[in-house]
Order: sequence, then C-alpha cells, then structure tokens
Amino acid sequence: MTKLTKIVAAALVAALPVVPVTAQEATAPTEAAEPNVSLQSDVKAYKETTDADGNVSSELVEPTVFTPGTRLSFGLSYENKGNSPATDVTATNPLHEAVQLAPDADPALIVSVDGGTTFGILADLQVADETGATRPATHDDVTHVRWTIAAIAPGESGRVAFPVIIR
Amino acid sequence: MNTKVLNRSLFATLTAAALTTGSPALADGISAGTLIENTATATYDDGTGVQTVDSNTVVVRVDELLAVTVTSLDPGPISAGPGEAVLTFEIINQGNGPEAFELTANPAVAGNDFDTTIESIAVDTNGNGTFDPGVDVILTRPETTDVLQADESLTVFVIVTVPAGASDTDESDVELTASAVTGTGAPGTTFAGAGADGGDAIVGTGGAEDSAIGSLIVGITDVELTKSAAVIDPFGGTSVVPGSVVTFTISAAIVGSGSVDNLTVTDAIPDDTTYVPGTLALNGAPLTDATDTDVGEASDATGISVDLGTVAGGTTQAITFDVTID
Repeated sequence: MTKLTKIVAAALVAALPVVPVTAQEATAPTEAAEPNVSLQSDVKAYKETTDADGNVSSELVEPTVFTPGTRLSFGLSYENKGNSPATDVTATNPLHEAVQLAPDADPALIVSVDGGTTFGILADLQVADETGATRPATHDDVTHVRWTIAAIAPGESGRVAFPVIIR
Repeated sequence: MNTKVLNRSLFATLTAAALTTGSPALADGISAGTLIENTATATYDDGTGVQTVDSNTVVVRVDELLAVTVTSLDPGPISAGPGEAVLTFEIINQGNGPEAFELTANPAVAGNDFDTTIESIAVDTNGNGTFDPGVDVILTRPETTDVLQADESLTVFVIVTVPAGASDTDESDVELTASAVTGTGAPGTTFAGAGADGGDAIVGTGGAEDSAIGSLIVGITDVELTKSAAVIDPFGGTSVVPGSVVTFTISAAIVGSGSVDNLTVTDAIPDDTTYVPGTLALNGAPLTDATDTDVGEASDATGISVDLGTVAGGTTQAITFDVTID
C-alpha cells in the first residue's frame, strides 16, 4: 500500500491536482468483491490574480473564454466506488484536433504522437515528416495523453490533468 | 502531499500562462463555433478480467475572436495635385470567424500641412488593386465591409480631394480605421452570444480595431515654353533675307516637384518659310522627320511635333529645327 500511495501522489504532483487525494485502506469485502471505477472529465481555466505586492497567483476556475490561444486544463477525476482494488489502471485521453498540449505540460507525462499506437514521454518520441525523415516530436504533435496507475483502492479518488492551448 | 512542491508547480504554470497571454492572436486559429469534445477512457483489472470505462464528454465551443489589421498598400506618399487622389488600404480579418468591419477615414491627422476632404470609401470590387470609377463599389454610410471570413483580406480605396490652396511639396496624412461590427473595446471584452454559431465574441489583443495611415504629397508642376531664333544669311551674316536659315529653339522647362505626363510640343512652320528636312533634334540628338518609332515628326505642311512623354520636374528639354526664308 505504501507503494500505491507514492505512485498516486507522484501522479498528482505531476498533473496539477486540485482535489486532494484520500488514500484509504481497503475495507473488508462484505459481499462480492469487485471494483467500480468511475471517471469524470472536466475543463477548467487558469485565473491569474495579482495581489497588492505584485505577486501573481493562479487558480483553476470555470472557463468562460474559448478563443484561439486560450489555455485550458483538461482534467480527469477518478474514483473507485467498488469494494476491491482496481489494478493496472490505464486512462487514455485523445486530444481533439482543435487543441494542442501546452508546452509547459509535465515532461514526464505519457503521450502518443501517432494516434494512440505507441506511448512514451515526449522527449523519447519521434515523428516522420513528409520526406520520411524523422524529427523529435513536439507538443504540437501529441494526439493522446495517458496515465497509468498500478492500483486504485476502494474509495480512493483523485484528479489528473494536463494543460492545453486552443489552436 | 508536499505543498511546497505543488506551489512551485503552480508558479511554473503561471509563468508560462503569462507568456501565452502576451502572444499575439493567432490569425490561423481554429474556427469560431468549432466544438471541442474531450472524453477519456480507462481500462483496469477487476480481478476477473479487463474492464473498460468511459468518462463523460466535455464539450466546449470555440469563441469568435474579434481582430483586424489595416495596412496602407501605397508604396509611399501618393503624388497628387489639387483635385482627386486615391489612397489604397488592405483590411484583413485576423479573427477566427466571419466578421464585417466599419470603416472610418480621418483626414485631420496631427502634423498635416493641410487636410484633404474625404469623398468616399470604395471596395476593390474587381480585385485589380486599382480604383476603377463606376466598377469598384462605393460604400454608403456607415461605410461597412461585407462579412469577411477568417483570414480574408479586402482592398479598399479612400478617395479624397486635395484643396486648391495646397502648395507644392505640402504633405497630408489620412487615417483609415476598421472596427469590428460586433463590437470593440478592451481586449477580453465579451459579447455574449454574438459570435459564430451562437458562441461568444471576444475582443482580441488589438481591441477589435486597427488603423493605418496613407500619405499624400502635393506635386504641382508647370511647363514653361521659350522659343528663340538664330539667323544665318547666305552671305555669312545674320540678315533676314530670302535664303537665310533660321534655327528655332523651343526650350521646355518643367518646373515643380512632380512630373508631367504626355507632354507633346508642337509648332507650325511660319508662313513664307520652308522646313529644312532632317533638322529636327531633341537636346542635340537628331530625330527623323517621318512618323515612326522615334518621338519626333516634322514636315513643311504640318509643322513639328515632339512627344516627350512623362517628364520629371526640374528638367529642361530643348527642341531645335531649321527653316529657310522663301
């Protein structure tokens, strides 16, 4: 369980969480033991405020503006509503062609640049140009974002997110 | 969770976001009204096998960004005399949705030597880049373009009158402003529901309007003709007697900062004289008498004619020809 908590926490820090995670010990199964994972997608905007001392702070708010160039946070909240752990969890989020992964996304984020066939961190991926030559993939090339979680304990929830910019 | 790490992560995000905000609006941004749908899918092992679960689908509609640029297409100040002059501008819809723009021409720009009078604003209907009266449609007030698609450009002409009192080399600027019909204002101003497909319209970084200056410079040019004669008589003197040869010189001085077009100098052969064939010359260079490819022609019956074409101010052209006294 220690290992699980560490992984979840790492994913959260990397993914700009707003919902604190609550890792609970699995409760003893009463009836048939089965996990039940639910997913909730959301989109948030970054709201910046500057205080009297000139310090800028940011928070995630309900988005109101969707113009080209706008930065948004695409989030995915998960929760295991069942009564046993869900293991080998892989959540995949295809990117709509109207958005691109923001350049300041976590470098450790697992992504695909080939339509979801292969996944890896962006720095390890290549794309082929028109001439067949390959070049290092950029944020603009990302087609899918993926998170892997070894296990989600019963009652455990969290949120992962990635920043995008409307093209 | 380590709060310190989280804060630092947020700060890094902020810095990047601030940079993004400062960048100019993307002219080739995704079209207003586009629906961006986002759904995630997860797989997991429940102990009996792999289960798949989808998230809900979040849908957002791309707003219409209101942005426009105006540029002068004139290569420099337009040379103009008193009367009509035409300034050429290009309007580009830099937003991501269809938008019309109201045009305003201001003749009273600070620093002007004189102000022109705005006569009309016309659209380059036939797309040839040149104002064609009767062809290019003149806009009626309030002068408003047709709806321009995202990234579409439009050439417009501002037709002005230069007042009679303008002096040579005086300069004047005319400012053309294009404003989004949906509205203008501080960047980020939202016009709810006024965008493409019922989305919002948002004022871009340029305030949804732009201006450009077109310039005029007055070039008043006059032609001053001076005719002189030199006589050589058959005896080596300068008496005007039958058989004397008279060399006429017509000096055409072009005065002013501009230039004159289609300048043709003609002169008749005086009565009781006869043109000496082959004596017509321009600035010392012989011209043939025949009506041919060179600029001069001459005959006893029709006199001389030299087509100087376009001549710049500040130059003098000398035409010479000989006659004999009958």
